[in-house]
Amino acid sequence: MIARHLRAATAIAALVVLSACATIKPVPAGPYASGGNQITVGRTWTDMGPLFGASRGVRLLSIDGPQLNRLFVIDGLKAGEFILRPASKERPTPTWKAGLTPTEQVEFLADTLAAMQYHRIETDNLRPVKVGERSGVRFDISAQTVDGLNISGIAQLVEAQDRLYVLLYLAPAEHYFEATRAEVEAIMASARVTG
Amino acid sequence: MKRHPTLRAAITSVLAASVAVSTVSPAFAQRTVGQRPDITTDEGGLWAQSDKAEMEAKTKAELNRDPELTLYVREVACRVAAEYCSDIRVYVMDRPYFNASMASNGYMEVWSGLMLRARSESELAFVLGHEVSHFSHGHSLATWRTMKSRSNVGMVLMLAGGGIVGSLLYLGVMSTVFAFSREQETEADRLSFERTVKAGYDPAAAAALWLSLREETAASDFPKTRASDTRGSIFNTHPITPDRIAALEALAAGRAAPSEGERARYRAQIRKFLPAWLVDDLRRRDYGQTLHLIDRLAADGEDLGVLEFYRGEAFRRRRLDGDQDKALEAYASASGRPDAPVAVWRELGDMLGKSGKPMEARAAWETYLAKAIDAEDRWLVEASLKKLNEGSES
Amino acid sequence: MTRLAALVAACLMMAACTTTNVKSAAGLPAAPPREARVLLAQPDIELQLLTASGLLEPRADWTTSARTNMQAAVETTLKGRSHSLTVLDPTTAMEGREGQVLRLNGAVGNSILAYGLMGAGLPSKSGFDWTLGEGAQLLAVKYGSDYALFVYGRGSYSSGGRVAMMIGAAALGVSIPMGGQQAFASLVELKTGKVVWFNQAIASPNADMRSAEGAAILTEALLKGLPL
Repeated sequence: MIARHLRAATAIAALVVLSACATIKPVPAGPYASGGNQITVGRTWTDMGPLFGASRGVRLLSIDGPQLNRLFVIDGLKAGEFILRPASKERPTPTWKAGLTPTEQVEFLADTLAAMQYHRIETDNLRPVKVGERSGVRFDISAQTVDGLNISGIAQLVEAQDRLYVLLYLAPAEHYFEATRAEVEAIMASARVTG
Repeated sequence: MKRHPTLRAAITSVLAASVAVSTVSPAFAQRTVGQRPDITTDEGGLWAQSDKAEMEAKTKAELNRDPELTLYVREVACRVAAEYCSDIRVYVMDRPYFNASMASNGYMEVWSGLMLRARSESELAFVLGHEVSHFSHGHSLATWRTMKSRSNVGMVLMLAGGGIVGSLLYLGVMSTVFAFSREQETEADRLSFERTVKAGYDPAAAAALWLSLREETAASDFPKTRASDTRGSIFNTHPITPDRIAALEALAAGRAAPSEGERARYRAQIRKFLPAWLVDDLRRRDYGQTLHLIDRLAADGEDLGVLEFYRGEAFRRRRLDGDQDKALEAYASASGRPDAPVAVWRELGDMLGKSGKPMEARAAWETYLAKAIDAEDRWLVEASLKKLNEGSES
Repeated sequence: MTRLAALVAACLMMAACTTTNVKSAAGLPAAPPREARVLLAQPDIELQLLTASGLLEPRADWTTSARTNMQAAVETTLKGRSHSLTVLDPTTAMEGREGQVLRLNGAVGNSILAYGLMGAGLPSKSGFDWTLGEGAQLLAVKYGSDYALFVYGRGSYSSGGRVAMMIGAAALGVSIPMGGQQAFASLVELKTGKVVWFNQAIASPNADMRSAEGAAILTEALLKGLPL
């Protein structure tokens, strides 16, 4: 009776809560990959395990728990694929397509954040970066959780062989984002698309 | 995809209760102004929960904090609430669904999806009057009591007060997790009609608004949605049926016509929110409905630069066969309007580039760069131009 | 703290005595500070009636009593240890940076409940090491306090009809959730933002916070190991 779409939205927001009960694993300093999306971390992170509501290639790393820092490492999305799984056929989530302009790539990410129940999403400072030998873009994010907690973030997108490789980092603007910014920027600079 | 089992159980159980409720509608005394329940009663418990939900609403990201807009909506609510004005507190929430709800403590939420779909203050007033009527006639408490009186041992429901279900409870505590019966909905329609006419609003607004919602349902991209019922609030199980519309049309028959300029005055109140609210609506990804909404907004010929830009955006995002051309047409039309957003020329350039029209693409991009001096994405457009120029030189 | 309660509900168990789970940060001084200034947030408590048909009915009278009783019991304890108190109504402090710090406190509390209380915890963290960061200093300055104490309670009590149903069902070998009450408390050192102590208490029948005596018993368990 509560509209199906809202029910679905709140179920997807539970993306993180349910992972509390899943198997979590250490990610020691060194290389880590989700399929062809490879990074190098400078300290121990935690792999939060399989995520309810996300595509299989989506991995979530955290240090203090997903409400305090979340680093999504996403394997190459093919055209028509989504980061967030739709709750029903008539409530689609953003899907990536080939031939998107950079503005549309950012829009795909911002729409995905909205589907993850973030609000007041703003993207900023879109800039070209080199990811190994490939070209990508990086941009800053500001948003709020549904409870009004300000969130800061960085995203990095690389298109390679008709697939989109995403790194997305989000943390509360109060203390947590700045505390890990240097580590995250180093991780993004270390990224490589393999295969 | 498997849903969380507790969530499914919660929905199923409440749904089971509400279906049973719709056949029983206990008579309920109209509340007195300023009435507050005894803290030890069930009504007292609901009131306190509503107080809590109201406190939370104040802290939510979706709260629209624009003081002028909030004041305006509050004034409209007060006009139709008449004697209950002092009992009501209004919060506008930026949520792209047609909804207004009132909790048993007098706290009212009005969602941006409703603000965008009402075409006049009369239409807005009717919906707010409808909610005030549920409030004044204690419909939600009546429903809650009826639900409680069913001691159904088989129904083991753990409505845990947090997490997924917490969000539902927050939404639900606005006294609309309880299904209103068909009788209650019809009564609220009638009471609201009386209130709005008494307050000087257009008698024909009610039926017109409900009818337009049905049309929007029919315009959906999705077959199940098209086949589904239209609801006057996202929580209600009781749909806006033709008989409800007919009843309101009958009430309005022969009454005075609307006031001149009412729609323009209403548009002036929401104008500055059109872009943000349309982006929210586009994110629902039901482009058939968004396009229908834009057509409705554009009907009086105002704000066409903004509206045609977003029409273009809908086609650009939808990407069905032929949509690229439709997007181009919409952007091109927008570019001729005085209120065209500057982004039109960038999108026009990108779309013309994709359609194999390099000369026009160049012209559009150059116009964008001339207009958007401080734009953050200038370097992208400059790169596109450079690529085009290099291509044409080879 | 809405997600908090989901985890509470997921872990609610019947307990014969009030059980506690105390965590403390490393590196605390051997002796607790004297005459500390404590910012006490009004306890966030919600109590409900669990009916026979499984509906959770909010009870404003129980909730109000519990809030009053728990606050009084905590105040008595702290004042008895010669500390001074400022009471904060968090609903008045949700704007601006202060509001962000309070929201962050909720997120940190949820994270502690999810990952800080169970055995190994997160491999990326060692020990009990949680912080609100430098924003806590804002509270220190605004309220002239050294510490902030947050108390949170959720629970339900079964109606007579439910208890009867439970007994009947138990006879048939079916178990039906009974309801229960939990309380959490956290102490934040405002100068550093560190959560220096956290406790989770599951109430026993004699620690019913609806009464002053029960609240006193629950508070004694809840404030176990408090480094003040």
